[in-house]
Amino acid sequence: MARKSHLYSFHLEKGKLTEFSGFDMPLWYRGIIEEHHAVRNAAGLFDVSHMGRYSIKGKDAASFLNYILPSDALKVKERRAFYSTLCNENGGIVDDTVTNKIDETDYLMVVNAGNREKDWNWLLAHSERFSVEIRDFSNDIALIAFQGPLAQTLMQKLCDLELSQIKRFGLAYCNVSGIRCLVSRTGYTGEDGFELAVLDTPLDDPTKALKIWNAILDLGKEKGVLPCGLGARDSLRLEAGMCLYGNDLDDTTTPVEADLGFILTKENGDEYIGRKVIWSQLKNGTKRKRIAFSMKSGGIPRHGYEIRLAGSKIGTVTSGSFSPTIKNGIGMAYIPPELSEKGRMVSVQIRASEHPALVVGTPFYDTSKYGYKRVPNSN
Amino acid sequence: MAIGLMSDSETYEIPTGYLYTRDHEWAQRKDDGNVLIGITDYAAKMLHDIVYVTLPAVGQNLSKQEVLGQVESVKTVSDIYAPVSGTVVKSNDRLTKEPEVVSSSPYKDGWMLELKTKDYDSDAKDLMTPDSYRKYVAELSEKD
Repeated sequence: MARKSHLYSFHLEKGKLTEFSGFDMPLWYRGIIEEHHAVRNAAGLFDVSHMGRYSIKGKDAASFLNYILPSDALKVKERRAFYSTLCNENGGIVDDTVTNKIDETDYLMVVNAGNREKDWNWLLAHSERFSVEIRDFSNDIALIAFQGPLAQTLMQKLCDLELSQIKRFGLAYCNVSGIRCLVSRTGYTGEDGFELAVLDTPLDDPTKALKIWNAILDLGKEKGVLPCGLGARDSLRLEAGMCLYGNDLDDTTTPVEADLGFILTKENGDEYIGRKVIWSQLKNGTKRKRIAFSMKSGGIPRHGYEIRLAGSKIGTVTSGSFSPTIKNGIGMAYIPPELSEKGRMVSVQIRASEHPALVVGTPFYDTSKYGYKRVPNSN
Repeated sequence: MAIGLMSDSETYEIPTGYLYTRDHEWAQRKDDGNVLIGITDYAAKMLHDIVYVTLPAVGQNLSKQEVLGQVESVKTVSDIYAPVSGTVVKSNDRLTKEPEVVSSSPYKDGWMLELKTKDYDSDAKDLMTPDSYRKYVAELSEKD
C-alpha cells in the first residue's frame, strides 16, 4: 500500500493518480500541458506534503548544518531559506534540500519524498556530537506550493501579512485563511510563488490543509488557477533548469559536477562532510559536468539516452522532456567540461538516429516573458 | 501500444468500420484495398498530452506486430505496432506539426499510415471487432 499525503482525498476525487516515491500522488488533474501553462500564465497549486520536513533545533543547530552541508548556514540571515545538498564523504549528493532558517537555533529542512528515511538516518547518524534536537514533522505539517505570476495577488486576499514584505527566499509566519502557516517565497517551477507549511496539521486530520487548498482554488477559479500534479511539477522544474534528485543528482554526483557552485558558500578550511573531494574538484576540475540542451530538429530526449559528438558517446541524458513553453524537446545531461560550453552542437541518440541539440543556459524560457524575474517584489 | 496507466470511468469512442488490436491500434480498409492505421481513442486518452509522433518513411515494409514508430506524451514514450503487414504508401505529415490531432481525432484526422497490404484477410483474422474491443477495454478498466 502506497502512503498518502495530507490532500489525498482531493487527489483521489479529481486526479489521475500515480505512485511516486512510495506515495499515491496526482500525475495530473486536467492534463500536464494545461496545468503547466496555468503556472506560467496564472498560477497553480501543488500538494508537496509527500516531501520530508525535519526540524533541527538547538544551540548547535547552525554548526551541525555547517558540518552536513557545503553551504554556510551562518551566512544565511534569519527568516531566509536556502538551497543546498547533503553530501557524503566522497562529495556525492545524499539529497538536495531547502532549509528554512527561522532563527540561529531553529531550522526546518525540506527533503525529497524518496529520501525521507535515508536523510533521517543521515541526520541522526551525524548529529551525535552536536547539541541539537531533530524531529520529523512530515506527518504534522502539510506542505502546499502556490506558484505563478498571480500567486502573490491572489494569496494576499487570504493572508494577514503584506506578502510583498517576503522577498524571494524569504519566509514569515502568518495566517492564511485564518490558519497559522510558515510561508516562504520559494518553489520548484521558476515562477514567483510561495510554499506554505500548514502548521499543526496531522495526516489523519488534514482539515486545515484542505481549507487553505480549497480557498485558494475558489479564489483563483476565474483567473485560470488550476491544481497541478507531479507531471507539470516535473516539466516546470526542468524548464527552469532545476535538478531532480534520482535523475540529475545522486550519491555519486558532486555539487561541482552538478554545476551547483552557487551553494558552495564556505571558505576553504571550513570542515564539512565531503569537503576534501569538493575542494579538490573546485581546484582541479571534474571529468563531467551537468549541462542543459535544447533539441534543434525534433525528437524528445529522455533519461538514459546517449549524448554524442562526432560519432562517439560523450555523456548521458539525466532529464528530458517536451517543453510546453518553448514547444520542443529539452534536457539535462552530464558531459566532459571541456565540451560543455554554451552554443556547442551535440547529438542525442534517439532510438536509431542522432538528433542535433544545442548546449544552452537555463532557464530554457525567455525570462522577460516567464519566470519570477518579471514579477514585482519577487527579487 | 504499451500503456502503463489504467483508466478511470471515462468512456471511449470505438467506431464501427474499424478493426482493433490488443495494443490499441486500429486498421481500416479503404475502398481501394489499402489500409489506414492509427491508435484508438482509449490509447490517446490513456497517454494524454500527446506531443510527438515518430512514423516510418514511405516505402518501408512493415510486418504485422512490428514496431512502426512511437507516440510520446510529456512523460512517456510508447511503441506503436503494425496491426497488419504492408508497405507504407502514405504517412500523415500533419502529425509532425500537430501531434495533438491524435487525441482530438484519433480515427479520422489522426490517422498515421496508409499501407498497401499483401495478405490483409489472413492478417486481419485475429484483430478485434468493435464489440470485442469494447469488452476488452471494459475489462482493462475494471482491473484498475
